[in-house]
Amino acid sequence: MRMNDSSTQKVRVQWLRCTCVCCILFSASWCQGQIGTAKVTVSANVQSSIGLVFLNNAAVGTNGFCPLTNAGTNNVGLDLGQASFTTGDSLACVQFFQFFGFYVVDSAFDVVVTKANSTSANYQLAASLATAPPTNVFWTINTFTVLSTTFTTIQNNNNYGQRVTETLGVVVNQTVPAQTLFETINFLATAN
Amino acid sequence: MLNKYNAVRNMTMVALLLASAAAFGQTTATGVINATLINKNGISLVFDTDPGGVALGANGTSAASANYGNISAFGALSAGVTRPSVTAANYTVRTIFDVQVIEGGLVSPSYTLTANLAAVAPTGFAYKVDAVTLTTVAQTISTTGTYNADVAHNLDLVVSTAAPGGGGPAIGTPLTATINFTATAN
Repeated sequence: MRMNDSSTQKVRVQWLRCTCVCCILFSASWCQGQIGTAKVTVSANVQSSIGLVFLNNAAVGTNGFCPLTNAGTNNVGLDLGQASFTTGDSLACVQFFQFFGFYVVDSAFDVVVTKANSTSANYQLAASLATAPPTNVFWTINTFTVLSTTFTTIQNNNNYGQRVTETLGVVVNQTVPAQTLFETINFLATAN
Repeated sequence: MLNKYNAVRNMTMVALLLASAAAFGQTTATGVINATLINKNGISLVFDTDPGGVALGANGTSAASANYGNISAFGALSAGVTRPSVTAANYTVRTIFDVQVIEGGLVSPSYTLTANLAAVAPTGFAYKVDAVTLTTVAQTISTTGTYNADVAHNLDLVVSTAAPGGGGPAIGTPLTATINFTATAN
């Protein structure tokens, strides 16, 4: 018995297809088995550290508590408005008072110091002026501590992670000529 | 007539001798080489320094190293190391490195990249590649890696802020971990 030409052709085509499928499957399985390996060694040296941020006090907006710009960071701004010995201050949030030929404006904010990878129990906080103020102008912390260009300790045993309210004030003699009083106050927290 | 016959005979013999000599002078030899090359397929993986990351040790090899230097929640970091987050519980320091998977002889369109820690992470540490937390079991980082090109990956160290002895990492001493990477052809 002999197949005709048409049947023979069909068998050949089917055989060719089968062969192709087998080749593809073999090729695919061969590729999937390929792997490459490598390793990277990572090293780091952990250091204890503490961080300091300034926050708006809960009473922000009321008298004596002006808002900070960029609050929540360690580099903020505090606008104390415009003030004069005779007319007071332009901002309601600024506390203003006079005494013996001087006027005082001040505003309070919070400081939070956080520790990481440290066994330190508490920290010391100090502050200083970046530049000396004009004559008869005095920058203060918490009313009675007059700041200078060297660090002055404000507190010795503050707790980490807790807000500490600090009041920044400026005392201006009535003889000081009209001018913009701009000052940068640096704060330094040191782990005990 | 006889002389003429002899002359013809002699010339014929000389011609045959000359022809025979010429034939011997064309001696040749032939041969064939049946050469075989088995072109195998395969892939390899190397680490390359990323412009935004730390300079890798043994850059361009399959056994590189990444040194973060001194790390802390609030202090200065080495070049190529960033600190994308700091929370009360932990902080993350990050560098970027490149993986290049080279293929040959494959019809594979892409590769799958997995990674695992060679050993349990040091106390207070967790390691992430592209936000995938690593364990000692292989974790899939990518399923569509591109061959023959540097592919950037973030390598994060998540460090507990706890103090040493209180769940935090040891301080002041280098802490190391080895991360194994495997690329598999898709």
